[in-house]
Amino acid sequence: MSSPGIAEPTEAIARAKAGDAQAWGQLYHDYAPAIFRFCRRALPTREDAEDATMEVFMKLKGKINQYDSSRPFSGWLYKVAANHCWDTLRRRKIRQDKETEDSDELPLEHPDPSQLDRLIEQRSSAEVRKALACLSKRARMALVMRYYSDMSYDEIADELGVRRAFVGVVLLRARHELRNALEGNAALAAGGNA
Amino acid sequence: MNESSNSPDERLDEHLDDHLDEMTGMLYVEGQLDRQRAQQVSTHAQDCSSCRILLRALERESRLLTRSMLEEDEPLPSRLAAFQQTARKSMQWIWGAVVGLAATGAYALYTGYVEPMQQRFEQAGFGGGSVLNLMIFQGAFWKGWQSMVTLLEVLALLTIAGSAVVFLRRRLRGRGSVFAMMVAGIAAAASIPSPAMATEFRNQGDTIEVGKDETIKGDLFAHGHHVKIEGTVDGDLYVFCQGADVEGHVTGDVIAFAQMLRVNGKVDGNIRSFTNTTWVSGVVAKNLLTFAETVNIDTNGKVGGSVTTFVNTLTIDGSVGRDVLGFVAETAVAGNIGGGLQAQGNTLKFNSGAQVNGPVKFKGEHPPEVSSGAKLAVTPVFTPEEHHKRYEESGFYVWRLIWTAAVILFGLVLFNLLPNFARASVASAERYGASFGLGVLVFFGVPIAAFIACITVVGLMIGISTFILWMTALFCAQIVVGAIVGQWLMGHTRETWQLIGRMVVGVIVLRVLGMIPFLGGWIRFAVVLWGMGAISLAIYRHFTPPAHTATVPVSPAMPPSSLPPNTTIGSPQPA
Repeated sequence: MSSPGIAEPTEAIARAKAGDAQAWGQLYHDYAPAIFRFCRRALPTREDAEDATMEVFMKLKGKINQYDSSRPFSGWLYKVAANHCWDTLRRRKIRQDKETEDSDELPLEHPDPSQLDRLIEQRSSAEVRKALACLSKRARMALVMRYYSDMSYDEIADELGVRRAFVGVVLLRARHELRNALEGNAALAAGGNA
Repeated sequence: MNESSNSPDERLDEHLDDHLDEMTGMLYVEGQLDRQRAQQVSTHAQDCSSCRILLRALERESRLLTRSMLEEDEPLPSRLAAFQQTARKSMQWIWGAVVGLAATGAYALYTGYVEPMQQRFEQAGFGGGSVLNLMIFQGAFWKGWQSMVTLLEVLALLTIAGSAVVFLRRRLRGRGSVFAMMVAGIAAAASIPSPAMATEFRNQGDTIEVGKDETIKGDLFAHGHHVKIEGTVDGDLYVFCQGADVEGHVTGDVIAFAQMLRVNGKVDGNIRSFTNTTWVSGVVAKNLLTFAETVNIDTNGKVGGSVTTFVNTLTIDGSVGRDVLGFVAETAVAGNIGGGLQAQGNTLKFNSGAQVNGPVKFKGEHPPEVSSGAKLAVTPVFTPEEHHKRYEESGFYVWRLIWTAAVILFGLVLFNLLPNFARASVASAERYGASFGLGVLVFFGVPIAAFIACITVVGLMIGISTFILWMTALFCAQIVVGAIVGQWLMGHTRETWQLIGRMVVGVIVLRVLGMIPFLGGWIRFAVVLWGMGAISLAIYRHFTPPAHTATVPVSPAMPPSSLPPNTTIGSPQPA
């Protein structure tokens, strides 16, 4: 699990469990930026991410007693955040999602290794973030869980409600979506510059 | 290839004689292959430049993804930073302030309006219960639900319903589901008490008649174009019609929603009427409470108790046993009043033959006119109406300040509880034409619809709930428009706390503008229309599914359930 780069807040958690508002403030201060970034990557708008961050911390208040101190706090936190974001996205199921689900069975084209290498080399982080916004919700969620919070395949399977064996497929399809989006955005940018 | 003739290792070796498929490559760089397969992939990649490039590209793609996501490209929004502060300090003080101010407001409302009104009612002979008890909890609305007699129970019920809505609002995004649940919840809870026994409903035909020889045992609900009671109703009578004639005998109360109510017969209880005209020629043993255009107690008419009226014209030619309390433009008395008379309005006339046994107090435009033939126990006390005095009183401004603070605090709570909806309402208000148009429709249309729902007995709860929502929107309108005005002055923002700041400025501006004589009234009216329209538009949009914005219409696959983890997707690249 990636963490905000701080030591395990064992004492603050113990005090938070006892209802200490100051301890909650400390935990929020230490972890809110990371959780906000997680939500920002996973959800469509900045406002959604802000709402989700606050709601995740509200949920934490109710669930803090369930936290197992032997496991990394940040990992548990990301799991709660992932759960909340995925719930939020699922509730927003709209017509076009159904249509895109119908194309799930289409096979993925094997990439040309050199072309893929060039594409990756030429793209910046900002371009990737922009392309991320264009992905379908499951693809986006899978990539964020894997590459932001470093969740295991088992944990991703658990959150997305798929079998562990499918997680690789979900991630690979997500990468293909991302590449298409990167190429699409680049083409748009080139068109705009022309 | 004959699978049965080769060992698994041989099969893998054969497979790796071709190029790696992308899935295997990704699982390899992700560390998801078992040791043996990973070793084979590694061995293969040493001899195959194409697969080495693929693995390198996939590895770089993973790193690019991680780097892109972890980069701190946006600072923590100020709204979340503010939340951090409140998380440290706890939000109890805000809620304390809100509850404190709400209690102050409730106290002010009670002492400023309810209590004086109650005293006036008591002076008029009603005595005992509060106005709410008198009009609602002892009245027609709750007949049959006698177990819900206390205000506390109803408030608790509404609080529970409100809390449930707040709690469930994110879980229920279906069209109208929240509203439906709230209404259904209230209705279900309200229905738990046993219904009134022996109640008869008549709503068939143009004219509803109870014949001379007919006796209805129990309450009667009558709904039609015309209702005529010539017989006996041994209970309460509820009428919803254009014209109602009570020529027979009603042993209980008469509750009428009608254009014209004529009472020629005998009513042993009270009359509560919401009519255009109420005409009493018969006998009403207890009290008369009416909201009407015209009320006439003619020479044969007799009201044993008190008369309380909110009407344009009141004429008393008959007799009233106790007090008369009237908010009446024009009052004319030629009959007997057993108690006193207290009225507020334009004119008050005591014609020849008038007799009043108690004190007379009148506040109005003109002094009472007393004919020489009138007999008054004491000289009338007249208080002239002073139109502009309130602007000269410091109390007027203090209360304005308190109410402005209350509106701002209410807005603060709303913006925090429903930030997205608040932003949506403010955004809707920027569509001026649509907001005003919808505002006019909602302002005039919803109360009419609620009234129609009320007069169909089944829809009473829905009608009342709709009306309460309408009142809430009425109050919220100035908050939404305040936010718009604030944005005009201080610029646009999407940050919640900045928007709240603009709302505060805007509300203050609107309240100041609303105090301008004459023009202020029109400004307040425009604000109400505009704000209600914006809220309605936001509600409409909330329940309308948004258009999908994804530019890549591809979603990840759910492969056939038999696929193992390292399944190849697509064809292997030819050697």
